[in-house]
Amino acid sequence: MLEVAGLSAGYEGGDVLRGIDLRVGDGEAVTVIGSNGAGKTTLFRAIARLLGISAGAVRFDGKDITGLAAHQVARIGLAFVPAERHLFPRMTVYENLVLGAYPARPSPDTMEMVLDLFPRIAERRRQLAGTMSGGEQQMLAIGRALMAEPRLLVLDEPTTGLAPKLAAEAYAALRELHAGGLTVLVAEQQVPLALELCERGYVLDNGVIVKEGSSAELAADPEVRRAYLGVA
Amino acid sequence: MIASILDGIVFGLQLGLLATGLSLMYGLGGILNLAYGQMAVVSAVVTVFAIDAGLPVPVAAVVGLATGALVGLVLDLTVLRPVYAQRGEARVLLSLLVSLGVALMIDGFLNWRYPLKGLSIRIAGGPVEILGEPMLRGSLVASGITIVAMGALLAFFRFTTLGRAVRSVIEDEQGARLVGIDPRKMLRLILVLSGAIAGLVAITRSMVTPVDVTAGFGITVFALIVTVVGGLGSVAGALAAGIVLGVVNAIAATKIGTFMSLVILLVVAAGTILVRPAGLLGVEE
Repeated sequence: MLEVAGLSAGYEGGDVLRGIDLRVGDGEAVTVIGSNGAGKTTLFRAIARLLGISAGAVRFDGKDITGLAAHQVARIGLAFVPAERHLFPRMTVYENLVLGAYPARPSPDTMEMVLDLFPRIAERRRQLAGTMSGGEQQMLAIGRALMAEPRLLVLDEPTTGLAPKLAAEAYAALRELHAGGLTVLVAEQQVPLALELCERGYVLDNGVIVKEGSSAELAADPEVRRAYLGVA
Repeated sequence: MIASILDGIVFGLQLGLLATGLSLMYGLGGILNLAYGQMAVVSAVVTVFAIDAGLPVPVAAVVGLATGALVGLVLDLTVLRPVYAQRGEARVLLSLLVSLGVALMIDGFLNWRYPLKGLSIRIAGGPVEILGEPMLRGSLVASGITIVAMGALLAFFRFTTLGRAVRSVIEDEQGARLVGIDPRKMLRLILVLSGAIAGLVAITRSMVTPVDVTAGFGITVFALIVTVVGGLGSVAGALAAGIVLGVVNAIAATKIGTFMSLVILLVVAAGTILVRPAGLLGVEE
Protein backbone atom coordinates (compact mmCIF):
# COMPACT_ATOMS: atom_id res chain seq x y z
CA MET A 1 0.00 0.00 0.00
CA LEU A 2 2.78 2.40 0.94
CA GLU A 3 6.27 2.24 -0.40
CA VAL A 4 9.07 4.62 0.50
CA ALA A 5 12.12 4.20 -1.69
CA GLY A 6 15.51 5.82 -1.19
CA LEU A 7 13.92 8.77 0.56
CA SER A 8 16.06 11.69 1.65
CA ALA A 9 14.46 14.72 3.19
CA GLY A 10 15.07 17.44 5.71
CA TYR A 11 15.00 21.11 6.38
CA GLU A 12 17.07 24.06 5.26
CA GLY A 13 20.65 23.30 6.07
CA GLY A 14 20.63 19.64 5.24
CA ASP A 15 18.88 16.32 5.06
CA VAL A 16 17.73 14.67 8.25
CA LEU A 17 16.84 11.42 6.51
CA ARG A 18 19.15 9.57 4.17
CA GLY A 19 18.00 6.82 1.84
CA ILE A 20 15.03 5.49 3.74
CA ASP A 21 13.37 2.33 2.39
CA LEU A 22 10.11 1.31 3.99
CA ARG A 23 7.07 -0.67 2.97
CA VAL A 24 3.61 -1.12 4.41
CA GLY A 25 1.52 -3.90 2.89
CA ASP A 26 -2.29 -3.94 2.61
CA GLY A 27 -3.88 -4.56 5.99
CA GLU A 28 -0.57 -4.46 7.85
CA ALA A 29 0.31 -2.49 10.97
CA VAL A 30 3.89 -1.28 10.91
CA THR A 31 5.82 0.77 13.43
CA VAL A 32 8.82 3.03 13.18
CA ILE A 33 10.61 3.19 16.49
CA GLY A 34 13.43 5.47 17.43
CA SER A 35 14.50 7.96 20.03
CA ASN A 36 13.79 11.68 20.02
CA GLY A 37 15.49 13.34 17.07
CA ALA A 38 15.98 10.09 15.15
CA GLY A 39 13.96 11.54 12.26
CA LYS A 40 10.59 9.86 12.77
CA THR A 41 8.61 13.09 12.51
CA THR A 42 10.60 14.20 9.47
CA LEU A 43 9.91 10.86 7.79
CA PHE A 44 6.19 11.01 8.48
CA ARG A 45 5.90 14.63 7.44
CA ALA A 46 7.62 13.74 4.19
CA ILE A 47 5.21 10.84 3.63
CA ALA A 48 2.22 13.12 4.30
CA ARG A 49 3.80 15.60 1.85
CA LEU A 50 4.04 18.37 4.43
CA LEU A 51 7.76 18.45 3.78
CA GLY A 52 9.84 18.57 0.62
CA ILE A 53 11.73 15.51 -0.52
CA SER A 54 15.27 15.90 -1.83
CA ALA A 55 15.67 12.39 -3.24
CA GLY A 56 13.72 9.18 -3.59
CA ALA A 57 10.01 8.55 -3.88
CA VAL A 58 6.86 7.87 -1.91
CA ARG A 59 4.37 5.58 -3.60
CA PHE A 60 0.81 5.01 -2.40
CA ASP A 61 -1.08 2.15 -4.05
CA GLY A 62 1.68 2.00 -6.63
CA LYS A 63 1.18 5.63 -7.58
CA ASP A 64 4.00 8.12 -7.11
CA ILE A 65 2.72 10.78 -4.70
CA THR A 66 6.02 12.64 -4.41
CA GLY A 67 4.61 15.50 -6.50
CA LEU A 68 1.36 15.85 -4.59
CA ALA A 69 0.55 18.47 -1.94
CA ALA A 70 -0.55 17.49 1.57
CA HIS A 71 -4.24 18.22 0.92
CA GLN A 72 -4.19 16.03 -2.19
CA VAL A 73 -2.63 13.12 -0.32
CA ALA A 74 -5.31 13.46 2.34
CA ARG A 75 -8.01 13.14 -0.30
CA ILE A 76 -6.72 9.89 -1.80
CA GLY A 77 -6.96 7.94 1.43
CA LEU A 78 -3.74 8.59 3.32
CA ALA A 79 -4.61 10.21 6.64
CA PHE A 80 -1.85 11.63 8.83
CA VAL A 81 -2.23 12.37 12.54
CA PRO A 82 0.74 14.50 13.64
CA ALA A 83 2.04 14.44 17.19
CA GLU A 84 0.93 18.05 17.67
CA ARG A 85 -2.52 17.01 16.40
CA HIS A 86 -3.28 20.29 14.61
CA LEU A 87 -6.93 20.32 15.59
CA PHE A 88 -9.13 23.37 15.08
CA PRO A 89 -9.18 24.62 18.69
CA ARG A 90 -12.01 27.16 18.53
CA MET A 91 -14.31 24.87 16.60
CA THR A 92 -16.51 22.27 18.21
CA VAL A 93 -15.62 18.59 18.40
CA TYR A 94 -18.43 17.94 15.97
CA GLU A 95 -17.13 20.53 13.49
CA ASN A 96 -13.64 19.05 13.69
CA LEU A 97 -15.06 15.65 12.82
CA VAL A 98 -17.20 17.01 9.99
CA LEU A 99 -14.16 18.69 8.45
CA GLY A 100 -12.32 15.40 8.61
CA ALA A 101 -14.55 14.19 5.78
CA TYR A 102 -13.84 17.27 3.63
CA PRO A 103 -14.74 17.82 0.81
CA ALA A 104 -17.37 15.11 1.14
CA ARG A 105 -20.31 15.24 3.50
CA PRO A 106 -19.56 13.09 6.54
CA SER A 107 -21.19 9.70 6.28
CA PRO A 108 -23.49 9.00 9.25
CA ASP A 109 -22.09 5.47 9.53
CA THR A 110 -18.52 6.70 9.82
CA MET A 111 -19.52 9.35 12.33
CA GLU A 112 -21.25 6.68 14.41
CA MET A 113 -18.25 4.38 14.16
CA VAL A 114 -15.91 7.14 15.37
CA LEU A 115 -18.19 8.16 18.24
CA ASP A 116 -18.57 4.50 19.27
CA LEU A 117 -14.82 4.06 19.19
CA PHE A 118 -14.23 7.15 21.35
CA PRO A 119 -17.10 7.52 23.83
CA ARG A 120 -15.20 10.37 25.53
CA ILE A 121 -15.45 12.35 22.31
CA ALA A 122 -19.11 11.51 21.85
CA GLU A 123 -19.90 13.09 25.23
CA ARG A 124 -18.19 16.31 24.19
CA ARG A 125 -19.58 16.90 20.72
CA ARG A 126 -20.52 20.51 21.40
CA GLN A 127 -17.38 21.41 23.32
CA LEU A 128 -14.61 23.46 21.68
CA ALA A 129 -11.75 21.18 20.72
CA GLY A 130 -9.15 23.43 22.33
CA THR A 131 -10.76 23.10 25.75
CA MET A 132 -10.34 19.33 25.95
CA SER A 133 -7.59 17.40 27.71
CA GLY A 134 -4.58 16.12 25.81
CA GLY A 135 -5.93 12.58 25.72
CA GLU A 136 -9.29 13.68 24.39
CA GLN A 137 -7.60 15.84 21.78
CA GLN A 138 -5.53 12.88 20.64
CA MET A 139 -8.65 10.77 20.25
CA LEU A 140 -10.34 13.59 18.37
CA ALA A 141 -7.33 13.88 16.06
CA ILE A 142 -7.55 10.15 15.30
CA GLY A 143 -11.31 10.43 14.92
CA ARG A 144 -11.00 13.36 12.55
CA ALA A 145 -8.55 11.40 10.41
CA LEU A 146 -10.95 8.43 10.33
CA MET A 147 -13.82 10.60 9.06
CA ALA A 148 -12.24 10.60 5.60
CA GLU A 149 -12.44 6.78 5.59
CA PRO A 150 -8.72 6.46 4.87
CA ARG A 151 -7.10 3.27 3.68
CA LEU A 152 -3.85 4.08 5.46
CA LEU A 153 -3.69 5.76 8.85
CA VAL A 154 -0.30 7.29 9.63
CA LEU A 155 0.25 8.38 13.24
CA ASP A 156 3.23 10.22 14.64
CA GLU A 157 3.69 9.38 18.31
CA PRO A 158 0.03 9.26 19.29
CA THR A 159 0.96 8.86 22.97
CA THR A 160 2.78 12.21 23.18
CA GLY A 161 1.83 13.90 26.43
CA LEU A 162 -0.64 11.20 27.43
CA ALA A 163 -0.86 9.53 30.83
CA PRO A 164 -0.20 5.76 30.64
CA LYS A 165 -3.87 4.91 31.02
CA LEU A 166 -4.87 7.17 28.12
CA ALA A 167 -1.98 5.95 25.99
CA ALA A 168 -3.24 2.42 26.51
CA GLU A 169 -6.75 3.56 25.63
CA ALA A 170 -5.55 5.16 22.40
CA TYR A 171 -3.74 1.97 21.45
CA ALA A 172 -6.78 -0.13 22.29
CA ALA A 173 -8.70 1.96 19.75
CA LEU A 174 -5.94 1.50 17.18
CA ARG A 175 -5.97 -2.28 17.75
CA GLU A 176 -9.71 -2.32 17.18
CA LEU A 177 -9.32 -0.34 13.94
CA HIS A 178 -6.52 -2.56 12.73
CA ALA A 179 -8.55 -5.68 13.58
CA GLY A 180 -11.26 -4.19 11.37
CA GLY A 181 -8.81 -4.20 8.45
CA LEU A 182 -7.30 -0.71 8.57
CA THR A 183 -3.68 -0.40 7.50
CA VAL A 184 -1.62 1.49 10.07
CA LEU A 185 1.83 3.09 10.16
CA VAL A 186 2.81 4.46 13.55
CA ALA A 187 5.93 6.12 14.92
CA GLU A 188 6.42 5.59 18.61
CA GLN A 189 8.75 6.10 21.51
CA GLN A 190 6.65 3.91 23.78
CA VAL A 191 7.94 0.85 22.02
CA PRO A 192 6.08 -1.90 23.92
CA LEU A 193 2.71 -0.44 22.93
CA ALA A 194 3.74 -0.14 19.29
CA LEU A 195 5.18 -3.65 19.09
CA GLU A 196 2.02 -5.07 20.61
CA LEU A 197 -0.12 -3.39 17.93
CA CYS A 198 2.09 -3.96 14.91
CA GLU A 199 3.24 -7.03 13.01
CA ARG A 200 6.48 -5.49 11.80
CA GLY A 201 8.74 -2.60 12.63
CA TYR A 202 11.68 -0.49 11.59
CA VAL A 203 14.27 1.09 13.85
CA LEU A 204 15.24 4.60 12.82
CA ASP A 205 18.42 6.05 14.22
CA ASN A 206 20.07 9.29 13.20
CA GLY A 207 18.17 9.48 9.91
CA VAL A 208 18.76 5.95 8.66
CA ILE A 209 16.95 2.64 9.10
CA VAL A 210 19.28 0.51 11.19
CA LYS A 211 17.08 -2.50 11.72
CA GLU A 212 13.86 -4.05 10.54
CA GLY A 213 11.94 -7.16 11.35
CA SER A 214 8.83 -8.67 12.83
CA SER A 215 7.66 -7.30 16.15
CA ALA A 216 8.72 -10.51 17.85
CA GLU A 217 12.22 -10.25 16.38
CA LEU A 218 12.54 -6.63 17.41
CA ALA A 219 11.26 -7.34 20.90
CA ALA A 220 13.86 -10.05 21.25
CA ASP A 221 16.71 -8.02 19.78
CA PRO A 222 19.26 -7.21 22.51
CA GLU A 223 20.01 -3.74 21.13
CA VAL A 224 16.34 -2.82 20.82
CA ARG A 225 15.75 -4.14 24.33
CA ARG A 226 18.57 -2.08 25.73
CA ALA A 227 17.83 1.15 23.84
CA TYR A 228 14.04 1.21 23.68
CA LEU A 229 12.60 -1.30 26.07
CA GLY A 230 14.62 -0.28 29.09
CA VAL A 231 16.01 -3.78 29.60
CA ALA A 232 19.63 -3.88 30.65
CA MET B 1 -27.77 62.33 21.35
CA ILE B 2 -30.19 59.60 20.24
CA ALA B 3 -29.86 60.82 16.67
CA SER B 4 -26.08 60.53 16.74
CA ILE B 5 -26.24 57.10 18.35
CA LEU B 6 -28.61 55.94 15.63
CA ASP B 7 -26.36 57.39 12.93
CA GLY B 8 -23.45 55.72 14.67
CA ILE B 9 -25.18 52.36 14.57
CA VAL B 10 -25.91 52.76 10.86
CA PHE B 11 -22.27 53.60 10.16
CA GLY B 12 -21.08 50.98 12.66
CA LEU B 13 -22.95 48.17 10.95
CA GLN B 14 -21.25 49.10 7.70
CA LEU B 15 -17.88 49.38 9.40
CA GLY B 16 -18.35 45.96 10.92
CA LEU B 17 -19.21 44.35 7.61
CA LEU B 18 -16.35 46.20 5.93
CA ALA B 19 -13.83 45.01 8.50
CA THR B 20 -14.75 41.34 8.10
CA GLY B 21 -13.19 41.32 4.63
CA LEU B 22 -9.90 42.82 5.78
CA SER B 23 -9.88 40.64 8.87
CA LEU B 24 -10.44 37.45 6.88
CA MET B 25 -7.71 38.20 4.35
CA TYR B 26 -5.26 38.73 7.19
CA GLY B 27 -6.45 35.91 9.40
CA LEU B 28 -6.52 33.37 6.61
CA GLY B 29 -3.52 34.24 4.55
CA GLY B 30 -1.46 36.90 6.29
CA ILE B 31 -2.50 39.35 3.57
CA LEU B 32 -2.72 42.96 4.73
CA ASN B 33 -4.65 44.43 1.84
CA LEU B 34 -4.19 48.20 1.69
CA ALA B 35 -6.07 48.30 -1.63
CA TYR B 36 -9.23 47.23 0.17
CA GLY B 37 -10.80 50.69 0.05
CA GLN B 38 -10.01 50.92 -3.65
CA MET B 39 -11.86 47.64 -4.23
CA ALA B 40 -14.87 49.40 -2.72
CA VAL B 41 -14.35 52.51 -4.85
CA VAL B 42 -14.00 50.52 -8.07
CA SER B 43 -17.32 48.83 -7.25
CA ALA B 44 -18.92 52.21 -6.65
CA VAL B 45 -17.58 53.71 -9.89
CA VAL B 46 -18.70 50.71 -11.93
CA THR B 47 -22.13 50.98 -10.32
CA VAL B 48 -22.27 54.63 -11.41
CA PHE B 49 -21.42 53.64 -14.96
CA ALA B 50 -24.05 50.91 -14.93
CA ILE B 51 -26.67 53.38 -13.69
CA ASP B 52 -25.59 55.93 -16.31
CA ALA B 53 -25.95 53.21 -18.95
CA GLY B 54 -29.60 52.93 -18.00
CA LEU B 55 -29.60 49.83 -15.80
CA PRO B 56 -32.03 49.83 -12.88
CA VAL B 57 -30.25 50.68 -9.62
CA PRO B 58 -30.50 47.20 -8.04
CA VAL B 59 -29.07 45.59 -11.19
CA ALA B 60 -26.34 48.22 -11.38
CA ALA B 61 -25.51 47.51 -7.73
CA VAL B 62 -25.15 43.80 -8.47
CA VAL B 63 -22.85 44.63 -11.39
CA GLY B 64 -20.79 46.81 -9.03
CA LEU B 65 -20.62 44.03 -6.44
CA ALA B 66 -19.55 41.51 -9.03
CA THR B 67 -16.82 43.90 -10.14
CA GLY B 68 -15.53 44.12 -6.57
CA ALA B 69 -15.40 40.33 -6.45
CA LEU B 70 -13.62 40.29 -9.80
CA VAL B 71 -10.99 42.75 -8.54
CA GLY B 72 -10.35 40.36 -5.65
CA LEU B 73 -9.96 37.45 -8.04
CA VAL B 74 -7.61 39.39 -10.31
CA LEU B 75 -5.44 40.42 -7.35
CA ASP B 76 -5.28 36.80 -6.23
CA LEU B 77 -4.27 35.58 -9.67
CA THR B 78 -1.72 38.29 -10.42
CA VAL B 79 0.09 40.59 -7.98
CA LEU B 80 -0.49 38.41 -4.93
CA ARG B 81 1.25 35.37 -6.44
CA PRO B 82 4.74 36.45 -5.38
CA VAL B 83 3.27 37.36 -2.00
CA TYR B 84 1.91 33.82 -1.53
CA ALA B 85 5.39 32.45 -2.17
CA GLN B 86 6.53 34.11 1.08
CA ARG B 87 5.83 32.94 4.61
CA GLY B 88 5.17 34.64 7.91
CA GLU B 89 6.25 38.21 8.42
CA ALA B 90 7.73 38.52 4.94
CA ARG B 91 4.34 37.72 3.48
CA VAL B 92 2.55 40.34 5.59
CA LEU B 93 5.08 43.02 4.68
CA LEU B 94 5.17 42.17 1.00
CA SER B 95 1.36 42.09 0.81
CA LEU B 96 1.31 45.52 2.43
CA LEU B 97 3.71 46.96 -0.16
CA VAL B 98 2.14 45.27 -3.17
CA SER B 99 -1.40 46.25 -2.20
CA LEU B 100 -0.27 49.79 -1.47
CA GLY B 101 1.09 49.93 -5.02
CA VAL B 102 -2.21 48.62 -6.38
CA ALA B 103 -4.11 51.17 -4.29
CA LEU B 104 -2.00 54.05 -5.59
CA MET B 105 -2.43 52.89 -9.18
CA ILE B 106 -6.19 52.59 -8.88
CA ASP B 107 -6.43 55.95 -7.11
CA GLY B 108 -4.21 57.59 -9.70
CA PHE B 109 -6.16 56.16 -12.60
CA LEU B 110 -9.56 57.11 -11.19
CA ASN B 111 -8.40 60.62 -10.32
CA TRP B 112 -7.01 61.09 -13.79
CA ARG B 113 -9.90 59.69 -15.82
CA TYR B 114 -12.97 60.09 -13.63
CA PRO B 115 -12.20 62.72 -11.00
CA LEU B 116 -15.82 63.75 -10.64
CA LYS B 117 -17.48 60.36 -10.52
CA GLY B 118 -19.24 59.65 -7.27
CA LEU B 119 -21.91 57.19 -6.30
CA SER B 120 -24.95 58.47 -4.54
CA ILE B 121 -28.00 56.25 -4.47
CA ARG B 122 -31.18 58.02 -3.48
CA ILE B 123 -33.86 55.96 -1.80
CA ALA B 124 -37.23 57.52 -2.51
CA GLY B 125 -39.49 58.57 0.33
CA GLY B 126 -39.31 60.89 3.30
CA PRO B 127 -37.64 60.35 6.65
CA VAL B 128 -38.93 57.67 8.99
CA GLU B 129 -39.28 58.33 12.69
CA ILE B 130 -37.25 55.99 14.91
CA LEU B 131 -37.27 56.59 18.71
CA GLY B 132 -38.64 60.04 18.02
CA GLU B 133 -35.81 60.94 15.65
CA PRO B 134 -36.25 61.38 11.89
CA MET B 135 -34.03 58.89 10.03
CA LEU B 136 -33.18 58.98 6.35
CA ARG B 137 -34.90 56.20 4.53
CA GLY B 138 -31.57 55.47 2.83
CA SER B 139 -29.97 54.85 6.23
CA LEU B 140 -32.61 52.29 7.06
CA VAL B 141 -32.39 50.49 3.74
CA ALA B 142 -28.59 50.48 3.97
CA SER B 143 -28.74 49.09 7.51
CA GLY B 144 -31.27 46.46 6.50
CA ILE B 145 -29.08 45.26 3.64
CA THR B 146 -26.00 45.29 5.87
CA ILE B 147 -27.70 43.26 8.61
CA VAL B 148 -28.92 40.69 6.10
CA ALA B 149 -25.41 40.45 4.62
CA MET B 150 -23.90 40.00 8.09
CA GLY B 151 -26.40 37.28 8.92
CA ALA B 152 -25.66 35.52 5.64
CA LEU B 153 -21.93 35.77 6.27
CA LEU B 154 -22.18 34.40 9.81
CA ALA B 155 -24.46 31.56 8.66
CA PHE B 156 -22.03 30.75 5.85
CA PHE B 157 -19.14 30.41 8.28
CA ARG B 158 -21.07 28.52 10.91
CA PHE B 159 -23.21 26.09 8.98
CA THR B 160 -21.74 25.35 5.55
CA THR B 161 -18.92 22.95 4.80
CA LEU B 162 -17.11 25.58 2.76
CA GLY B 163 -17.50 28.17 5.51
CA ARG B 164 -16.17 25.74 8.09
CA ALA B 165 -13.27 24.93 5.79
CA VAL B 166 -12.39 28.64 5.62
CA ARG B 167 -12.47 28.89 9.42
CA SER B 168 -10.34 25.79 9.77
CA VAL B 169 -7.55 27.43 7.79
CA ILE B 170 -7.64 30.40 10.18
CA GLU B 171 -7.59 27.99 13.13
CA ASP B 172 -4.76 25.76 11.96
CA GLU B 173 -3.52 25.86 8.39
CA GLN B 174 -1.59 22.62 8.69
CA GLY B 175 -4.58 20.88 10.23
CA ALA B 176 -6.66 22.10 7.31
CA ARG B 177 -4.22 20.64 4.81
CA LEU B 178 -4.30 17.33 6.69
CA VAL B 179 -8.05 16.99 6.18
CA GLY B 180 -7.77 17.77 2.47
CA ILE B 181 -8.37 21.51 2.38
CA ASP B 182 -6.27 23.58 0.00
CA PRO B 183 -5.52 26.84 1.87
CA ARG B 184 -4.73 28.64 -1.40
CA LYS B 185 -8.22 27.95 -2.73
CA MET B 186 -9.76 29.20 0.51
CA LEU B 187 -7.68 32.36 0.29
CA ARG B 188 -8.84 32.93 -3.28
CA LEU B 189 -12.42 32.51 -2.14
CA ILE B 190 -11.84 35.07 0.61
CA LEU B 191 -10.34 37.60 -1.81
CA VAL B 192 -13.37 37.27 -4.04
CA LEU B 193 -15.70 37.49 -1.04
CA SER B 194 -13.83 40.50 0.36
CA GLY B 195 -14.13 42.30 -2.98
CA ALA B 196 -17.88 41.72 -2.94
CA ILE B 197 -18.10 42.86 0.71
CA ALA B 198 -16.13 46.03 -0.06
CA GLY B 199 -18.45 46.67 -2.98
CA LEU B 200 -21.56 46.10 -0.90
CA VAL B 201 -20.36 48.52 1.77
CA ALA B 202 -19.58 51.19 -0.84
CA ILE B 203 -23.00 50.77 -2.39
CA THR B 204 -24.93 50.83 0.89
CA ARG B 205 -22.79 53.72 2.14
CA SER B 206 -23.80 55.71 -0.93
CA MET B 207 -27.41 55.53 0.23
CA VAL B 208 -26.37 57.67 3.21
CA THR B 209 -23.59 59.84 1.87
CA PRO B 210 -21.85 60.09 -1.56
CA VAL B 211 -18.88 57.78 -2.19
CA ASP B 212 -16.41 59.47 -4.53
CA VAL B 213 -13.22 58.32 -6.22
CA THR B 214 -10.97 59.65 -3.44
CA ALA B 215 -12.72 57.61 -0.72
CA GLY B 216 -10.43 54.57 -1.00
CA PHE B 217 -7.79 55.22 1.63
CA GLY B 218 -10.33 56.55 4.11
CA ILE B 219 -12.27 53.30 3.80
CA THR B 220 -9.09 51.26 4.26
CA VAL B 221 -8.14 53.24 7.38
CA PHE B 222 -11.56 52.71 8.96
CA ALA B 223 -11.46 49.02 8.09
CA LEU B 224 -7.98 48.69 9.59
CA ILE B 225 -8.94 50.33 12.87
CA VAL B 226 -12.04 48.19 13.23
CA THR B 227 -10.13 45.03 12.31
CA VAL B 228 -7.44 45.72 14.89
CA VAL B 229 -9.99 46.39 17.62
CA GLY B 230 -12.12 43.39 16.69
CA GLY B 231 -9.22 40.99 16.50
CA LEU B 232 -7.51 39.85 13.32
CA GLY B 233 -9.22 36.88 11.76
CA SER B 234 -12.39 37.13 13.82
CA VAL B 235 -15.60 37.79 11.91
CA ALA B 236 -17.74 38.19 15.01
CA GLY B 237 -15.09 40.49 16.52
CA ALA B 238 -15.07 42.69 13.44
CA LEU B 239 -18.85 43.02 13.50
CA ALA B 240 -18.90 43.89 17.21
CA ALA B 241 -16.02 46.36 16.95
CA GLY B 242 -17.66 48.01 13.95
CA ILE B 243 -20.81 48.85 15.86
CA VAL B 244 -18.92 50.06 18.96
CA LEU B 245 -16.59 52.27 16.92
CA GLY B 246 -19.40 53.52 14.72
CA VAL B 247 -21.24 54.82 17.78
CA VAL B 248 -18.06 56.26 19.31
CA ASN B 249 -17.34 57.98 16.01
CA ALA B 250 -20.81 59.50 15.74
CA ILE B 251 -20.86 60.76 19.33
CA ALA B 252 -17.34 62.18 18.99
CA ALA B 253 -18.31 63.88 15.74
CA THR B 254 -21.34 65.63 17.24
CA LYS B 255 -19.95 66.41 20.71
CA ILE B 256 -16.43 67.40 19.76
CA GLY B 257 -16.22 67.74 16.02
CA THR B 258 -15.64 65.63 12.94
CA PHE B 259 -11.98 66.66 12.85
CA MET B 260 -11.37 64.90 16.15
CA SER B 261 -13.48 61.79 15.63
CA LEU B 262 -10.82 59.81 13.78
CA VAL B 263 -8.25 60.71 16.45
CA ILE B 264 -10.65 59.54 19.15
CA LEU B 265 -11.24 56.30 17.24
CA LEU B 266 -7.50 55.74 17.14
CA VAL B 267 -7.26 56.38 20.89
CA VAL B 268 -10.04 53.85 21.53
CA ALA B 269 -8.32 51.37 19.24
CA ALA B 270 -4.98 51.87 20.96
CA GLY B 271 -6.64 51.51 24.36
CA THR B 272 -8.25 48.24 23.30
CA ILE B 273 -4.92 46.87 22.12
CA LEU B 274 -3.29 47.79 25.42
CA VAL B 275 -5.96 45.96 27.38
CA ARG B 276 -6.48 43.07 24.97
CA PRO B 277 -3.54 42.68 22.57
CA ALA B 278 -5.43 40.18 20.41
CA GLY B 279 -8.44 42.50 20.02
CA LEU B 280 -11.96 41.96 21.31
CA LEU B 281 -12.32 38.44 19.95
CA GLY B 282 -8.98 37.78 18.30
CA VAL B 283 -6.80 34.71 18.59
CA GLU B 284 -4.19 34.71 21.35
CA GLU B 285 -0.95 33.70 19.68
